[in-house]
This record gives sequence, structure tokens and C-alpha cells, in this order.
Amino acid sequence: MKLKSLMVAFGMMAMALVANAEPKQATGQAMSWQCAPCHGINGQEFNEAMPPLAGMKKDEFVKAMIAFREGTRAAIIMDRVARGFNDAEIEAMAVWFEKQPAIQWENMTYVPTAGGKYEPK
Amino acid sequence: MSQNKITRRDLIKVFGASAVAATGLFGMSAKAYAKGANHVVIIGGGVGGSVCAKYLRFADADVKITMIEQNPEYITCLRSNDVMVGYHTLDELTFNYNTMREKYGINVMIDQVTGVDYDRKTVSTKNGEKVQYDRLVVSPGVDFRFQDYEGLSKELSDTKIPHAYKAGPQTLLLQKQLESIPQGGTAIICPPQNPFRCPPGPYERASLFAEWMQKHNPRGKVLICDPKDRFTKDGPFKKGWERLYGYGTDNSMIEWISGSQGGRVVGVDAKNMTIETDGDDHKGDLINIIPNQQAGKIAQIIGLTNHSGWCPIDRHTMESTLHKDVWVLGDSSIADAMPKSGYAAGSQAKVAAQAIADSLHGRSPGKAIYSNVCYSLAGENYGVSIAAIYEVRDGLIKPKGKSAGVSPITDKPAQPILEAVYQKNWQREFVKDVFS
Repeated sequence: MKLKSLMVAFGMMAMALVANAEPKQATGQAMSWQCAPCHGINGQEFNEAMPPLAGMKKDEFVKAMIAFREGTRAAIIMDRVARGFNDAEIEAMAVWFEKQPAIQWENMTYVPTAGGKYEPK
Repeated sequence: MSQNKITRRDLIKVFGASAVAATGLFGMSAKAYAKGANHVVIIGGGVGGSVCAKYLRFADADVKITMIEQNPEYITCLRSNDVMVGYHTLDELTFNYNTMREKYGINVMIDQVTGVDYDRKTVSTKNGEKVQYDRLVVSPGVDFRFQDYEGLSKELSDTKIPHAYKAGPQTLLLQKQLESIPQGGTAIICPPQNPFRCPPGPYERASLFAEWMQKHNPRGKVLICDPKDRFTKDGPFKKGWERLYGYGTDNSMIEWISGSQGGRVVGVDAKNMTIETDGDDHKGDLINIIPNQQAGKIAQIIGLTNHSGWCPIDRHTMESTLHKDVWVLGDSSIADAMPKSGYAAGSQAKVAAQAIADSLHGRSPGKAIYSNVCYSLAGENYGVSIAAIYEVRDGLIKPKGKSAGVSPITDKPAQPILEAVYQKNWQREFVKDVFS
């Protein structure tokens, strides 16, 4: 077999492998969006019983979620939620939430000229 | 974006003339779209449609988004049971689309969709618009099967036998009927067969009716005639009923007749205010039949449903398996273990928004993670909840890890009291996630 056709064959195999691969883990953002109906958009709710997640230190988030999941921290509902996430997923959400501004969502504004970013008013 | 000049004519081409005129699109924001920008059209401005529009904006700053909704305002079904017993007003549950337009640059058209041409990728409306799309999202809620009950009709539901299962005038009608029950009278609630919107809704309604009667009609009674033998959160609900309304005793304010006890309602005689069931006939001073359900009417009209009456979807993305480049969200979709709840619709809308943005930019979407967290009231200060995270496994949407669970039944009063506090927090936050 010529080198060129070998390369083509390997290339096709690689493509087939990619096509059959499990989808990659959901992004931290995609998972964190799921928290919004209780904790506020991007976790930016600072006036409610459910704690804000925006700007939370990464380690604090990870520690809390694992404690909820393992049942070592008293919970009303978060134990049931946390049992849905593995360590890597918790880490990804923690990284994302740490980056969100600790600002009430209503005080953010849409900036159309900046690529659609939301910024503090 | 400022270098991309757009003209009024370009906008009219994309959105249709009356939409441009009616929405004041030019004053909306400085947002201008690049020529050839992708256009996503969303049919339905409820929870699924609105959350999808907003999170699509988060996922893609440059996509054009048009949402077509029949009504200029949306009343949330969420907490509409409260209205009947005076814990909320209908006004407090009513939202408009101003924030959608102004903060997120969504073009909201108040119009009714009449058809979709999948080959030409156009949506037609009652006002004569033809709107071109690159991706279409359909989130139309549910349609009621009045025909499953002898003597029941849409007209009757508007006048005498309200379902009050879409918030609005029927909510207020049922409230009036509750207040008009004579002392010692009976309210009959007939939940539908599975699957249906808001699975705890009928049982929360029964709870709040009983609580209202304790104050205003202490000899009154709530009778639930159910086609099913189980219902969501039935453990914690029944425990709450025992504690609050004497459930299981001779003096219980709530009686539940299950399907195997003959609880399924088959017909109604509105003149004599009597229902016919598989078991006995029952006379009520209020009859609340919540009919069996199927996908929202427009989903049926445009061919997105299968033999089940619901819409099959690709579990990883929520894209229809019947038509390409079309997504179906919320109650109308077949989402396996996920309930037909507002929270689930919002959750699916976020997954879909990311998947649509990915598809427009040639990226492959990550693993889909969905969630549902739902709080109900067994009494004003007694909450019960269900929570689960979901993933796609063996081709179906299933609970992930050991996440699925309802409120534990404990002797600690703190659990239901705190759940009632969280319930109110959750309601306020949930509607913000949709409309703020």
C-alpha cells in the first residue's frame, strides 16, 4: 500500500472514531445554566434564601457540592441535586461560577457592540 | 458590528413589514445584524420559547432571533393554584415581553403561526407574514383532549366545568366557584391520565382547596377522582394531608379515589353537576376536570407529532426527529423520564439553545445535562419537592447518578417549613430566569 493511501485510510479511521465517540462532557457554562431557576441567572441572585453562586471561590463550591453529594452536610434539596454530578462536572461548574461577577443580575446591561456581552451598568 | 450597515428594507425582508412596524424594532437597541446573519425563529413565547430565546442570545451574540407568540402577555401556570385561594393575584403572574425585546434584542411578533414550509424554511402567520428561518424552535405547550369525556367540551370548560390548567380567565372562574360552594359542599378534582403538564398540579390544588376550606368552609370536602394509582410526590403529599387535613380518617377533608378504585372519570352531566366514573357517580358543587393532554395544536398542524400525540426528539439536542433544523421544547416533546414541567421546559431550552448555536457554527455539542426541580405546596407553609439531574443513557433521558428523589418524610418540622420558604424563592427566581 502506498504511503498516501495508508494516510488516507488512517485519516478515515480517525474520523470514524471521532464520529462514534461519546459526546464530550458538558461545559461548565452549560451545566451552570441549569442552576439559574433557583440561584439566579449566572448565579447572580443576592437577595434570596438560596445562596448566590456567582463569584464563589472554586474550592468552596467543590467542597459544598461534594459534602451535599456524600450526605455529610445537612440539606433540604441540594443532596438530591448534587448526587447527579461527578467530580469533574462539579469542578467545571466551580471554575465557571468563580468567574461570574458578584453583581445582582438586574444591575447588568447588554452591550451589543461588545460582541453581546453583559456588563455591570 | 457598526460597520455592518442594515437598511429598513433588509429588516423587513427578514422580519416582515408589520413586525418591524409593530415592535418598534429600530428603537430597540443599537444592535444591528451582519448581512447573512443566521435567523432563529421561535414559535411560542411561554417558558420553553422565552428561555430558549434568551439563552440563545447568551450562546450567540450575533444571531437574529424572532419569537412569534399569540398573546402580548404571558400568565404563568406556575403558582396559578395560589390565585384560587388568594395567595397570589393573576396580575402578579402576568409578564410582558419588553425585557425580551430591550435587553436581549429579541424580535417578538404578536401573531399566530398557521403553517411551516420545511422545504422553503418559512413560517406563515395569520397576519400574512412569511418569516424565513435557518433554525426553527417550537414550544407550544399542551392541547386538551375534551373528547375523552362524554359531555365535556371547550365551551363547557370556559363556562361551567373549568380545567383552569392554563392560567387566565378559567383560573378566576374556578376561584369564584370555590368561594360559592355551600357550607359542607364538595369540590371534585379530576386529574388526567399520564403524561400531562405539571404532574403535581392537581394534588397541590386539592391541598390548597382543603386549606382554604379549613378557614371558610370547615365542613367542606375535596374529592379527587383519579385514573391513576400513583402520582408524583404522593408519599410526601399524603403525609402532608395526614398532618394538615386528617387524611385517612373519617373526617378527612381530602378523599382520593385511585384508578383501581374506579376513580377514572368518563363523563360529566353539567346540568346536574354530576360526574360518571368507572365506579360510582359523584355529585359536586364544583367540578374541575383537567382533561387528558397531547402536544400543543400547532405541533400537530405542522406535523411534528407521532402516533402518541407528542413530538419525538433527539435526546441529545431536542431537535425533532421528524423534520431537520427544527427543535421541539417543553410539554410537547417526548422527554422520557423528565416531567412536563416549566422547569423542565427551561432546562431543555438551555440545552437546545447551546445545540442550535453549536449547529450554526459547526461545533459538536457537549453531553446534554438536564434538570428538574419542582416545589409544590401541601399547605401555605408546607412544601414538598422533587429534584433530578438527567442525562441520555441507552437512548433515553434518565436520571443521572442517584439524583432523583422527592422530599424525605421525617418528623422534623423544619423540612416542610423550609421547603415552603424555598418554594417561594424558587418561584420568584424561576420567572426571572424566564422573563428578566
